Order: sequence, then structure tokens, then C-alpha cells
Amino acid sequence: MNMPGLDNRHVRMAAAWVLPLIVVVTMQVMAGSDSAPRYVVAPTQIASTLWTLVQSGEIFVHAWASLVRAYSGYIIGAAAGVGIGLLCSVSRPLSAFFDPLVSIAYPVPKVALLPVLITWLGFGDASKIAIIALAVFFPTFINALYGARGVSQRWIWSARNMGASRARVFFMVIVPAAAPHVFNGLRSGLALSFIVLFAAEMVGARKGLGDLILQAEEGLRFDLMYAAIFSIGLIGFASDRLLLALRRRLLAGKFPGEARHG
Amino acid sequence: MGFMTASGVGKTFERDGKSVVAIADFNLTLEAGEFVSIVGPSGCGKSTFLHMVGGFEKGEGTIVVADQRVTSPGPDRGMLFQDYALFPWRSVIGNVAWALEAQGMGRAQRNAVAEKYLALVGLSQFRDAYPSELSGGMQQRVALARVLAFEPHMLLMDEPFGALDAQTRELMQEELTEIWQQNRRTVLFVTHDIDEALYLSDRIIVFTARPGRIKADMRIDLPRPRGADIRKSGRFTEYRNQIWDMLREEVLRAKAGS
Repeated sequence: MNMPGLDNRHVRMAAAWVLPLIVVVTMQVMAGSDSAPRYVVAPTQIASTLWTLVQSGEIFVHAWASLVRAYSGYIIGAAAGVGIGLLCSVSRPLSAFFDPLVSIAYPVPKVALLPVLITWLGFGDASKIAIIALAVFFPTFINALYGARGVSQRWIWSARNMGASRARVFFMVIVPAAAPHVFNGLRSGLALSFIVLFAAEMVGARKGLGDLILQAEEGLRFDLMYAAIFSIGLIGFASDRLLLALRRRLLAGKFPGEARHG
Repeated sequence: MGFMTASGVGKTFERDGKSVVAIADFNLTLEAGEFVSIVGPSGCGKSTFLHMVGGFEKGEGTIVVADQRVTSPGPDRGMLFQDYALFPWRSVIGNVAWALEAQGMGRAQRNAVAEKYLALVGLSQFRDAYPSELSGGMQQRVALARVLAFEPHMLLMDEPFGALDAQTRELMQEELTEIWQQNRRTVLFVTHDIDEALYLSDRIIVFTARPGRIKADMRIDLPRPRGADIRKSGRFTEYRNQIWDMLREEVLRAKAGS
């Protein structure tokens, strides 16, 4: 596609900043006027509040609490989802058990089960980690299963032709061949884990960015609210970038289309 | 008692509720060390037969290779595919050594064997490259090294040069013949290219249109070793015309029947 002016790599990079810049500038301008609603806060104010939190260390306490819950839930959910998803592609009984269950439950928001989990596991970290793991299981399972099922028949034939046992075909062909799809699932799961984390923390948590957001909102401290929202966003973004870097490390230059990722 | 014997082999595919008979009551015997090509119109069942010898498809009848009945794929019948089927997540050397790894050979030993076969196909300096970085011809050479590395009794080739351009195809035929002439494994080669079949084979089987049967089974009396010039010889042209006429009949029959 030939769009004059957009072929320059630096121009393209700058273009990504246009919308955020517009939002920030608009907020700043609106916040200055007297008729602005309370929830429009100047970005400079937000930055200043954030800086105060960094200096006092308070933001790190909340961020750490959130991070531990999100990552714990993510790792448990993703490990189960990917592991079981891959195994279902080669085991008919396992697939008969999980496939219909997942298909039915997938569109149901798992967050709706939060009250149940809280009743069982209390208001502490356990219920939060459990709900995150439950939510993350679904996209990771589905992508792993369909990735494994979609592995080219030719590769499997080749492997069997070369004398590989069923186990070797699974570990040496199906698992690496499904890797791109598995990573797609991992990425969706990661984003989901922060969404569910936020919902879980809103319901009641001691420390945590979601809890901070809620308390800030109740206390009408919108600058604090935005600072916390920004922090959660930053953690989510950084986590995603880490995952993409891992993907690139493992897959770039091997599968078609992978070199361009990230 | 040949090296490979197929008796009463048949295969029917179900497609949208309709039955398609690919081959029926098919018999063929191959001797050890023969290079046999199967030529036939599209859809005549030649690839299906090859897959059955490979153990990838099951059907009626019996196929026996080196006194063992064929029931599943195995390293005694190495297969070369048209789309190379290399593993993209493995380097070239990783691909060539794959069969040996799957059979439990240690790293140093299997890499030594793999390097020997990689050198045979002239790709030693691409040892650490990945398949996606290679051209089609190079990938097929890697696939050839891979299948030779586990030293199968028999080689099965399913239109392996079909995806390559004409010049590369001719060069690959010459390379394949050179390599084959070194230890003369039994080969069953499927192609729709008559010149290719003539250049490579000791014997050519012409298939009829579906359901595939043997229309002709010709011994090719061209001298070995075969160089590039053989394609220009009178005998070569005679054979080609003969086979082309037979094939044309079947191609037209296949068209009429579809």
C-alpha cells in the first residue's frame, strides 16, 4: 500500500501516539474549565498523584498484591488449559469429557461465579486466584485444542513414517506444531486475567489496584482512581510485551508469518 | 516372490454420501533394487496406492514388503512428499536427524549420520538454517536427506518434484539418480510427468483412469548410469511417444467420466 508520508517508519510509529495524545490534551483542557464534571481530571494532576504514590511506596504495595493474584491465577489456569487442551487432541475419552463442557461454559462469564467462590474460599487471595484460573482456562484450552487438532496431517504421517511412537508424535510434533495457536490462547488468557482480577478485587480485597480504584472512586478521589487505572494498564501492557517477546524468541523465523510479530 | 507384493488391493472413499472407488482388485510385484514409476491421469488412484504401501491408508487386499505385511507406517518404507513435510520448528540438521532421534539415538551419533546425508545432497552449509529460509528445491533435498538418513528398505515418492519449476525439477532428477545409483534401494515413484518417469526408472506402470488398473507395465531399456543427454536420445523419444499415447487415452477417459 503506497500512502505518501506513511512509508517512513518513524512517521508510522508517531501515528500510534495520535489518539492517546488527543485524549490527554482534551482531558487537560477540559479539566481547566469551571464547567468540567468532577471525573475529568487533568493529566498533570494524575501524574502528580501517581508520583506521590511512587514516592511513598504505596503504589507498589497495591501493585504487588494485584500482580501476585493475577499471575498465580494465570499460571494455574494456563497450565491446566494448555495441558488438558493438548491432551484432548490425542485422547478421545478426555476430549469427550472436556469438549462439550467447555463449549457450553465458554460464553458464560466466569466472573458471575465469584460469589460462589467467595462463599467457599472466603474474601482472601484464594477466591481471586481461583476465579482468575477458571477464567483463563477457557481461551487457553480452546486454542491449544484446536491448534493441536489443526496440525498438518503430513507432519504426523512423516513422524509415523520415521518410526515415532504415539508419545513421540505428541511431544515432538503436535506440541511444537500447535505452539503458534497455544500462544494466541496464552495472550487472550493474559488479558483476561487482568480483567477478572479487577472485577474480583472490586468485590472486596485488602490491598490491590482494583481495591484502590474502588476506594478512590467512593472517596471521590478521581485523580487517585485514574492513577490506579493507569497502573493496572501499565502492568497489563508490560506483561503482554513480555509474552510477545517470549513468543518471538521461540517461534520467530520458523513458522510463516512469525518473524513479523510484535 | 518379489520384494513388494500387492494382491487384491482396493480402496473406496466416501465423499458426500457417494462412494468413489480409487482402485479395485489391484495386483503388482516389485523386485528388490528396482526403480519403478507409476504414471497416470489425475485422480487415477496412484497416490492412493502409494499411501497404502506406506501404511497411511487402509483398504482391501494385502501388501507385503520384505516378507512383512503392511499394516501401518514404518521406517522400512521411507516416504517423500510433494510438499516436503519438513518440520518448520526444527533446523535443517534437526530435521535430517529426526528419525534417528525418534528412535532414541544419541545426539552426537545422530548428528554425524545426518551430516553425512546432508553432504550427500550438497547442503552442508545450511545445517543450521530453518526450512522457511530455503527454496523449494533445497527443502526437497533436505527431505531426501531426511528419508535416506534412516536407511529404509524401500523408498516411496509421491510426485516429489511436482511443486518445483522445470529447471530445478530436471536437476533434482539427475541428483536423485546419482544418489540412487550408489546403493540402488527399491523405489516406487509416482508422477504425472512422463519424461521424469523415463529418466529415472527401470520400469514404468501406466495406470488407467479411476478405478486405477494397470494399463501397461513396461521395462525401460535405457542404459545406466543415466546422464542428462539420455533425454535427447531416439529411444527415449520412442518410449515417450508410446507412453504419451496410452496416457492420453486415459486422461480423456477420466475427463469424460468426471
